[in-house]
Amino acid sequence: MINTIGIWIAAVLTLAIYSFLYKDNPFYKIAENIFVGVSAGYWAVVLWYDFAWPNLFEPLFYRGQWYNIFPVFIGLLMFAPLIPKISWMIRIPLTFTMGISMALFITQIVQGDIFPQLQATFLPLKSVSVFTTFSNVLIILGVIFTLIYFYFSKEHIGPLGIGAKIGIWFMMISFGASFGYTIMARVSLFIGRVYFLMHNWLGVI
Amino acid sequence: MLVALAVIIPMLVPLNLPVDITNPVKNVYNKIESLSEGSIVLVSTDYDPGSEAELYPATEAVIEHCFRKNLRIYMMGLWPAGSELGNIALTRIAQSYNKRYGVDYINVGYRPGGQVMLLCLGRNFGDVIRVDYQGTPIDSLPLGAAVKSAKDISLVMTFSAGDPGILHWIIYFHARYGVPICGATTAIMAPQQYPYMSSGQLTGLLGGLKGAAEYEALVNKKGRGLRGMDSQSIVHLLLIGFIALGNVILIYQRKKE
Repeated sequence: MINTIGIWIAAVLTLAIYSFLYKDNPFYKIAENIFVGVSAGYWAVVLWYDFAWPNLFEPLFYRGQWYNIFPVFIGLLMFAPLIPKISWMIRIPLTFTMGISMALFITQIVQGDIFPQLQATFLPLKSVSVFTTFSNVLIILGVIFTLIYFYFSKEHIGPLGIGAKIGIWFMMISFGASFGYTIMARVSLFIGRVYFLMHNWLGVI
Repeated sequence: MLVALAVIIPMLVPLNLPVDITNPVKNVYNKIESLSEGSIVLVSTDYDPGSEAELYPATEAVIEHCFRKNLRIYMMGLWPAGSELGNIALTRIAQSYNKRYGVDYINVGYRPGGQVMLLCLGRNFGDVIRVDYQGTPIDSLPLGAAVKSAKDISLVMTFSAGDPGILHWIIYFHARYGVPICGATTAIMAPQQYPYMSSGQLTGLLGGLKGAAEYEALVNKKGRGLRGMDSQSIVHLLLIGFIALGNVILIYQRKKE
């Protein structure tokens, strides 16, 4: 019974959202406002039960981890600009956040992107099939010409200009692939909703 | 209206168009096939209802394959709603294979903290996970007690719709701990993952609903992925027609001017 009610609510809200394709209307507005309200409520619960309670209050009150009060204090300093006399204290949490973020992102970029991706361009051109050699040449040229496009210390004229133009072509092909995938994603979402309406709600397929 | 009809009609009258299996999808399948019985696969459902249409069919197909191979599943989620969605598929398929909770599969639920959490998780699971999604102490469950660090995981399979997601698994579990990573992503994210596949950081990839459909074909299970492929193909043909028509009209107008 509960399941059936849930399916009906989801179906009616889906149709209400799609009614916007005709024009803005009260059904769409109701569905939109319900979505905003439910999302806000859902995130409030998630933030309490998954962040604040297990990481702060539960260790603080039930496991005697009194030192958890320090991150709370640092966090509260984010509100320091509200009191002009101590507004400078916001630098403490900001510095802390910047330091952590820099450390994480430097590791992420160096360890995850720069070195492995650079290594991946050292590809064999001999002792592999003709198709693999062609693919490898294409990857190597793609990397070189795209990098030339992003070399801004010299005007893009002459051989550098030709290289940059070829780089643009490589990027355009990549953007085209991304655009194709984006269309596929949007269509898939629509298929998902239509499948729900026809299978779960109407039961015709 | 034409797009809507192109989606609805093939669903009512299936055309059963062929689905080619691409190498990235085959790689995921082969990786799971290569694992020995009892190996632990960490399944991370890093998406929300907004991406359910693309990623849930892939979640079902991969879980089905894992249980068929008698692999153990350690499920978690980097997105709050992801672990709930994953749990629906996990419990349903586990029941059909008579798998026991805590022994053959486990769900530790949503784990907040993104990359910082993953960094700690790889070193010591106990630092991050003390209870499962129902609040049961993790050490009281045989599978929970068996996983101490990234070394105990044979494969990470992430179903990813954004950040945190597949990129962080690659960086923190592959680059740092050497765990093989396979992924299923939304179609929008798929092109960004190809450089990671060519560098060997990512073993295999299911891109969008098409990837899920290919996987369903491989494991011989007709689900939402394969059912949606007829509509997907017809809409793509329609859009190619629109693009061609638009360009013909543009060329005609330019000539007229």
